[in-house]
Order: sequence, then C-alpha cells, then structure tokens
Amino acid sequence: MQYAEFKAPKGVIKVELSLSGDAISKISLSGDFFMYPEEALGQLEEALSSVKVNFDSLMSAVKRFYQNTGARTPMLEPEHWVEAILKAARS
Amino acid sequence: MRVDDAFTSMAIDEALLTLNAEGKSPNTIRFWRWLPSAVSLGCFQSVEREVDLGVAKRRGVDVVRRITGGGAVFHDCGGELTYSVVCGQSDLPHDIVDSYKLICGGLVLGLERLGLHAEFKPVNDVQVNGRKISGSAQTRRWGSVLQHGTVLISPDVRLMFELLKVSPEKLSDKFISSVFERVTTVERELGQRPSFEHVRDSMKEGFEKALGIELVEEGMTDDELELAAELKPKYASNEWLRKR
Repeated sequence: MQYAEFKAPKGVIKVELSLSGDAISKISLSGDFFMYPEEALGQLEEALSSVKVNFDSLMSAVKRFYQNTGARTPMLEPEHWVEAILKAARS
Repeated sequence: MRVDDAFTSMAIDEALLTLNAEGKSPNTIRFWRWLPSAVSLGCFQSVEREVDLGVAKRRGVDVVRRITGGGAVFHDCGGELTYSVVCGQSDLPHDIVDSYKLICGGLVLGLERLGLHAEFKPVNDVQVNGRKISGSAQTRRWGSVLQHGTVLISPDVRLMFELLKVSPEKLSDKFISSVFERVTTVERELGQRPSFEHVRDSMKEGFEKALGIELVEEGMTDDELELAAELKPKYASNEWLRKR
C-alpha cells in the first residue's frame, strides 16, 4: 500500500493506493475537504479503479466523475486529485 | 442551551435535518455545548490518521464522526459554543461558498455585538484580526441543509494538539505559538471571558440581523427527540467511527 498527503488550496487529500502494474487496483481517499453530495467520494474511488497512473488517464477519469455525478468540491479542482494520486504512486 | 455528549448532539443535528426535509421541523438555529469534551471528525477523514484514540480515552474525550466534511475539531466543553443551522436548500444560495457566507454572516454580526471586528473567510471560516475564531461545516441532503460550527471562546489548545495527530516534533512550544498566530479566541480578543449565555445571545441577534429573521425560542419536539434517540447508536458505533 502506497500513501501520500497532498495539500490542496482547501484541505489535505490523503491517498492510499495499491497498484497492479501501472494501473490502480485499490484506492482509498480521505481528508478534510468538502464534497457534495458526500456519497460521491465512493463513486470517485470506483471511477479511479483500474485507471492507469499517468496524468492524462487520471485527469480524464476524474473529469468524467465530475460530469457524471455533478459532485461539487469547493476550492478543489480535478488536478488536485490527480496530483495527490501521482504523489502516492511515486511514494 | 443544551449540553449533550457528542453522539447525542450529532444525532440531534441529523434528526433536525431529516425532519426539516420531511416538512416536520421548522427552520432551526440551535446553540449548544459538548459534555464531555469531544473530537469531531470530518465525514471523509480516517480516524486512525487524525486522532490519538489513546489520549482521547485517557483524557475522557469522546470521538465522533460528523455527517459533514471538513477537518477534525477539538470541542472543549469549557471553551466553545457550538451552533447548528437547519433550513431548506431553497432558503439559501445554490452556490456553496455563498451559502456559507450568508450563515457565517450571523457569526460575524454576533462577534461584532461582542465588540470584535470579524470577517468571513471562504470557504467556511470566520476571522478576527486575520486569525480564525470560528469554523463551520455544511451538508445538503434531501432538500435541506445542515450547517454546524464553532465559536472559540477559550479552548485548551495544548490538549487539542495532544488529541489531533500532529507529528511529535511539531508539538513544541514553537508550534503552539504558531497556532496562536493563526487561531484566536473570544477571550483573547476581548481581554476577558464572556459567559456562554452572553455569547449565545450575541450570536442569536447576529443571526436574526444577518438572515432578516426573528427567532422564536422553543424546545425540541417529541418527533425530534425520538428520531435523535434512534440515530444516536449509529454515532456511538465503532462501525461509523471507523468508516474511513
């Protein structure tokens, strides 16, 4: 299990990550951010499952998650999730 | 002003939110305190990563997970007034930061009534002299909104940092001094400690002015008390605490 903390403009994203080759096999996100609706965080974790750990693949998965769920995360942008995941993958 | 344990208080907030959404409870503002002192955890936080459960047990501090996001907060029974606002989503701006600003506007005016110059700091804080004096968290469910938050009167900051996981090297006098650069309290700013009742009355007037409402004092209804009693075991459960 790989782990990293990423300080975003509002809140810290904490990522626990298992990789299978170059793709995410398991991911757990936590932290002191806000997300509406709250249930969407589980959907974000699901949306990231099996995604390859590179900027473009992660970014498109996260953007798709926002489009599909309409989730809102004040002062937290898709790139912050991506940076946090990449940091965990490098750890 | 109710004084309850953490699990009861969180259950009351969810009960008010649920019943407001069902049209069975009016829009409500309540002021309350925590007994015993407690740490509340944001709904997305990992309890193991954020709270020293050993210290909490030794010091008789409850630990509870909120249904709202945001960070872990130490609620000092003797040093904090807590508020909750429950209303319909249609009573607030759709934009989340705008809705925090509107509700926190009540705290800003309440603090002004205490003689302090306060300002809203997006997303969810109120500051006096550039230092945080209040933090809030909001959830929106079933068409209604719950926002709850703190007014720091005179909390035990050293105990706060024993409870919340901060790396040991940071838990120095220097670190605690740096916290005092970022966080302040009503007692510190006023140079004296007002009573809980005085702070509550000031906040009540602040909310009335900021929201353009007149508050009518009432106790909780039987429905609210019953639902809170049903919800309490969830908040006291290990399963809920260790959800993340």
